[in-house]
Amino acid sequence: MKLIDKMRETMQLTAEKPDPALLPTPKQLRRSTIAAVIGAAFIGVGVYLPAEYGIDPTGMGNALGLTEMGKIKQQLAREAAEDQLIHGGDQSLNLMNDIFGLFVGAAHAQDAWTDTVTFTLAPDAFTEVKMVMAAGDIVEYSWVAEGGRINFDLHAHGNGQSVDYDRGRGATDGQGSIKAPFPGEHGWFWRNRDKTDVTITLQLRGNYAEIIEKR
Amino acid sequence: MSFNSTGLRTLASRRATAILLSAFTLYASSVAQVLAHDVTPGDAGYIQEIWGVHMTSFIYLGAKHMVTGYDHILFLLGVVFFLYRMKEVALYVSIFALGHSVTMLAGVWWGWGINAYIIDAIIGLSVVYKALDNLGAYRKWFGFQPNTKAATLIVGLFHGTGLASKIIEYDISQDGLLWNLLAFNLGVELGQILALFAILVVMGYWRRSARFMGQAVVANVIMVALGIWLTIIQINGFLAAA
Repeated sequence: MKLIDKMRETMQLTAEKPDPALLPTPKQLRRSTIAAVIGAAFIGVGVYLPAEYGIDPTGMGNALGLTEMGKIKQQLAREAAEDQLIHGGDQSLNLMNDIFGLFVGAAHAQDAWTDTVTFTLAPDAFTEVKMVMAAGDIVEYSWVAEGGRINFDLHAHGNGQSVDYDRGRGATDGQGSIKAPFPGEHGWFWRNRDKTDVTITLQLRGNYAEIIEKR
Repeated sequence: MSFNSTGLRTLASRRATAILLSAFTLYASSVAQVLAHDVTPGDAGYIQEIWGVHMTSFIYLGAKHMVTGYDHILFLLGVVFFLYRMKEVALYVSIFALGHSVTMLAGVWWGWGINAYIIDAIIGLSVVYKALDNLGAYRKWFGFQPNTKAATLIVGLFHGTGLASKIIEYDISQDGLLWNLLAFNLGVELGQILALFAILVVMGYWRRSARFMGQAVVANVIMVALGIWLTIIQINGFLAAA
């Protein structure tokens, strides 16, 4: 305790000893502690569980609009874990947003489209549309969403590599082109986070062996 | 100042260990976020899936950010350490809230993102500053007491810049940004009040103890150390990322 005394002498605290008359009484403190514990339990069950895990035993999370967030987080966590299992070792090229000219632009807009893919997603439904491409292949695309707004992730996996071309949320249309940096399946993950059915019409042309739709 | 064996034993007391451990656990849980490339999980993942106004979600996320933000909490603890009149607590906490709200809202709105490691290193230093202030170090060393209200405001501005940098990383949709941002700010203040309530209850018990003034010195020395530790972690992170 010598050291503390020495530190006190050296440091001259900015404060004097609190006036006991102004401090909360033990009774007040006990009451505050009980209030804090009850409050913490209340927040834990009514707010934290719905907002993080989508578990809503009291219905408060739904009333506050937090359960949806918890459900989305849980869904994303599951998908991230699955993704990690399948593609965990992939090297990400991280070429997001047309660095290195992956977005070549719609140069031949006057040409006819070779394929049209149409599908409808109910709220919270998702699907994938992928093109099988060789390295260096270029595909042009144009799509519109009707009935609502759509989230998408235009990406690819193959040969232990991955690339994210573009992603968006609440979008209603998109166009451009991608150039595959490696062979594999290149295309979209679509998810409807809107409140209504959304119909996507996707048009494609360019070099690809086939179109794969995963429902 | 030399630490003899008595001092070491004092510092290794159970409370000190508990403070260190809880600070470390909070830190560890907050950095375990980097994961796969296609799916962004967690709060950022949720935010990147939605658009439009989601007031309650952003109030929750703001409160969560504050309550789990050990550096903000540590500074808040430093601010109220010797304030026991509720009027003063309210005044200083409001000054801090004003400071961080200004730079948080303006920072996100106009996109002033600063490197997260640099701003977090500055926030670590703000903890060191406040703990030294509590120890009376400035009067001892420089012969005067810097204005504590002004310091709280300035530090608040830095903390808000840190919040803004993190919100920019969240990549909130432009659709509904203003309302969501205001909701996040409201949540930050709500989280601060909740954290403050817990701090004040613990401090209330502690202040009634006869040994409070002696232990206060040790606690603030530990706070200086934690602040330095946070700063070093952030500088290391910055150097590793560069």
